[in-house]
Amino acid sequence: MKTASAISAGLHAAVLLWAIVSFTGETFKVTPAQSLPVDLISDKDFSEMTKGVKDAPKPVEKPKPLVEKVEKKDEPRPVDEAKPKITEKKEVEATKNEPQPQPEQKSDPIAEKIKEQPEKQEAKIEPTRLPPRRPPRPPAKQHKFEPNKIAALLNKRDPQRNAAIGDTINSTRSLGTAAANSAARLSQSEIDALRARLNALWNPPVGMRDGDRLQITIRIRFRRDGTLADGPQVITSGSGARYNAMRDSAVRAVLTGQPYTMLRSEHYDSWKEIDFTFDTQAMYRDISLQ
Amino acid sequence: MTDRMPDRHLSFSRRRLLAGAGALALLAPRPAGAVLSIDITQGNPRPMPVALPDFVAGTPGEEQVASEVTAVITNNLQRSGLFAPINPSAFVAKVTNSDTVPQFADWRVINAQALVTGRITRQPDGRLKAEFRLWDVFAGQQLDGKQYFTSPDNWRRIAHIISDAIYERLTGEKGYFDSRIVFIDETGPKQRRVKRLAIMDQDGYGVRYLTRGDELVLTPRFNPSTQEITYMSYGQGDPRVYLLNIETGQREVVGNFPGMTFAPRFSPDGQRVIMSLQQGGNANLFVMDLRSKQTTRLTDAPAIDTAPCYSPDGQYICFESDRGGTQQIYVMPAGGGVAQRISFGEGHHSTPVWSPRGDYIAFTGQARGEFSIGVLKPDGSGERILTEGFHNEGPTFAPNGRVIMFFRDVGPGPFLHTVDITGRNDLKVPTPSYASDPAWSPLLS
Repeated sequence: MKTASAISAGLHAAVLLWAIVSFTGETFKVTPAQSLPVDLISDKDFSEMTKGVKDAPKPVEKPKPLVEKVEKKDEPRPVDEAKPKITEKKEVEATKNEPQPQPEQKSDPIAEKIKEQPEKQEAKIEPTRLPPRRPPRPPAKQHKFEPNKIAALLNKRDPQRNAAIGDTINSTRSLGTAAANSAARLSQSEIDALRARLNALWNPPVGMRDGDRLQITIRIRFRRDGTLADGPQVITSGSGARYNAMRDSAVRAVLTGQPYTMLRSEHYDSWKEIDFTFDTQAMYRDISLQ
Repeated sequence: MTDRMPDRHLSFSRRRLLAGAGALALLAPRPAGAVLSIDITQGNPRPMPVALPDFVAGTPGEEQVASEVTAVITNNLQRSGLFAPINPSAFVAKVTNSDTVPQFADWRVINAQALVTGRITRQPDGRLKAEFRLWDVFAGQQLDGKQYFTSPDNWRRIAHIISDAIYERLTGEKGYFDSRIVFIDETGPKQRRVKRLAIMDQDGYGVRYLTRGDELVLTPRFNPSTQEITYMSYGQGDPRVYLLNIETGQREVVGNFPGMTFAPRFSPDGQRVIMSLQQGGNANLFVMDLRSKQTTRLTDAPAIDTAPCYSPDGQYICFESDRGGTQQIYVMPAGGGVAQRISFGEGHHSTPVWSPRGDYIAFTGQARGEFSIGVLKPDGSGERILTEGFHNEGPTFAPNGRVIMFFRDVGPGPFLHTVDITGRNDLKVPTPSYASDPAWSPLLS
């Protein structure tokens, strides 16, 4: 026993010693990475930001510093760019002419309101100038804001961020991009308001046996004024008293909620048809925790 | 789309082809991102506003009955806790003909989600015809409509049956209004209580006494399939188990069981009764076939096993046992076998009762000097206390398993109460005097 334990102790000590010696290697060299300012923003904030502000100052002088910084990277370009700038401006004039009829095409009441205020018209046109002044990315102006492609939008913002690292910080409010304005989807706040309204109105039959396994999906076609264009269309199928009671409660909630005034008519294309899925599972989970 | 497929695809097995077609069919009506999809996961459960204008009298002289039928339905729906009948004084419209489609706008104004109209007519043969229609006010359509014929003195049952139809259509669960309660009516001073077996409608009306009160009666239980009850009676010493037919009043002694510790309960098919018999310091479970009177032992443990109750499918038994040291609830196969403890909550658990819809077992809990009524799932999960207090005991389920009746004693004497299995809507049941040991009947119809 003694010899065995002595050997064991000896070996343990040896292993420990070896570990102490061999594990003390060089400390890891960490090259300090250049820090990037990152803002965490919600979808709502994002849609608000990209939407821009109508009464923002015209960004006539502002883009210049941005361009300068880009220019620094590639030396030969500044010479080339200086000339195209003039030619581009001509192009811009051409584009100026194009968007002007746009408000006329719109028969929206909002468009009419815009007409009444000529200053704002200009503001709307101005943003089209922005993209050409950034030679590296001329096609950017064609981007439309799509919630599914937020990543793409984030990439688009890179050049601005590079500039932000430079001497001056761009603190002035921008007009946003024209694309973001025209293609504005149903914003998160509108969806939240719609959801909150239906959550409040929906009176599901509670205490049903296996009630947590029921899901009802209803397709609604809306009119522009927020009322239902036709009867709710139940997409899910089922039968039995429980299904019927659940389905009727969901349909009742949708019917009682109209008109849905929180849905803005300028986004009509994105909410003219909505699928609502009514699901009690989360509620039942809450009840069982009581 | 299949006609565009190249030829080699056609050689695929039919199943694969079908699967492919099915997948395409699923995709076809919903191109990605075309329709905005929103999930509604937090409803706002609250009593549903229902308008119940007085039923129309189809023949002169029936106004009284028509109005009373409406009152009974209103009371039933109100007591269920799931509906909020709107005060008739708020009505802006009057229903004069139950056959025409109502002006839904008039009912939308007062926020009624459902509307019940009806008519009571006396037939030439003297019977009553009761019709009702249930309308969805916002959808503007009829949800249900039925008519019943009955003898005039049976109008209360008709009202209960209509209540059940409304309840079922709007909640998705079967109703429980057309049912009765058998209970122990207690009168006299505390030291010399007279206990009589009594029966009444679930809403407390139509009390009828089934025994005279010269014997001590205890623990009545309904046969789940017929209008028959068993109860224990201490006449001359030994407890006797009686079988009583409520309709005919026929009474039969099932047996003389010395050492009976709890009243027997019927099996779901009503053919057998299960009970607990005391032997020495122990009590074990036995099942008896009512026809052959043959008795089989189910447990043989050095413990007190009592208060057995069948599951609605007759496959399992839940019972109370102190084999683990304290009174807890166990579940075992109906034919005997290994018993599994399911109650692990605080304190003691006793008098388990299996819900008729099978999803819960109700029990009397005892912890911190208080008696509570609670429910747990047959696998032991989801235990929750519905009501707690000085003394609550003897739960019994409504036929639809949604409501539990029990008796509560806060000092002077016991009264019957009901509570929803969600723990809401604790209500006192009107009884002529003190009442205990309720047992809820199956639906009458």
